[in-house]
Amino acid sequence: MKPTTKVILTILHVISWIIFLGLCVKTGAILYSFFVTLAINPEGAKNLYMELNLSNLYNFDKGYYIVLVSSIIVVSSLKALLFYFVVKIFLKINLVKPFSEDVSRLISGIGYVALGIGILEEIVNKNCDWLAKQGVALPDLQSVLGGGGEFLLLGAVIFIISQVFKRGIEIQTENELTV
Amino acid sequence: MPIIVNLDVMMAKRKMSLNELSEKVNLTLANLSILKTGKAKAVRFSTLEAICKALDCQPGDILEFVEKH
Repeated sequence: MKPTTKVILTILHVISWIIFLGLCVKTGAILYSFFVTLAINPEGAKNLYMELNLSNLYNFDKGYYIVLVSSIIVVSSLKALLFYFVVKIFLKINLVKPFSEDVSRLISGIGYVALGIGILEEIVNKNCDWLAKQGVALPDLQSVLGGGGEFLLLGAVIFIISQVFKRGIEIQTENELTV
Repeated sequence: MPIIVNLDVMMAKRKMSLNELSEKVNLTLANLSILKTGKAKAVRFSTLEAICKALDCQPGDILEFVEKH
């Protein structure tokens, strides 16, 4: 392995850890604010997370508010899970013998989670559009949710890569058992 | 697998140990063991040639096809 590749991999590993921890903190913060809003002080809906104001939705219907915030929490948790898989890949990858079952499982996991995030984000975005049509003024959720399309694309690409990786494992095993 | 490896039979006939064969054919004990136990997925012609030379036999003496029922 080239020294520059090693440095880039180390930097990416550190960045993945930071993003993973950031997403955990974000999920925890939203979850905490959500429970505070429901159980203690409904005013919390005005600043759920970093100026995210969902008080209009809370006043419109508590059920829709619970569904939307739960969806945001689930999406955020799935993103944290995705980066947890990325961190684990960096811990397990061995570039001398790169094709291992563990890494294959993690790559497949990333593909499925990314697809899940993409689908969920699309559903939530459609739900927000519908709520806007009902006259509920919602803030821009791009900062907490994202588009959805990107994750669908990411999921599809990673799913294809995971299939190629599985074939790589077969070839490596065959190569190892060639005397 | 329907291909049976009779390496152990030939080794016994020639009274040759695995260590000795490994030295003569320049293969690791682990790889020879994979071949002997029938776990190998493929055998290189060069390996087969070296084994045949060391054991003074034909490829057919080492490999055998037995149909699975």
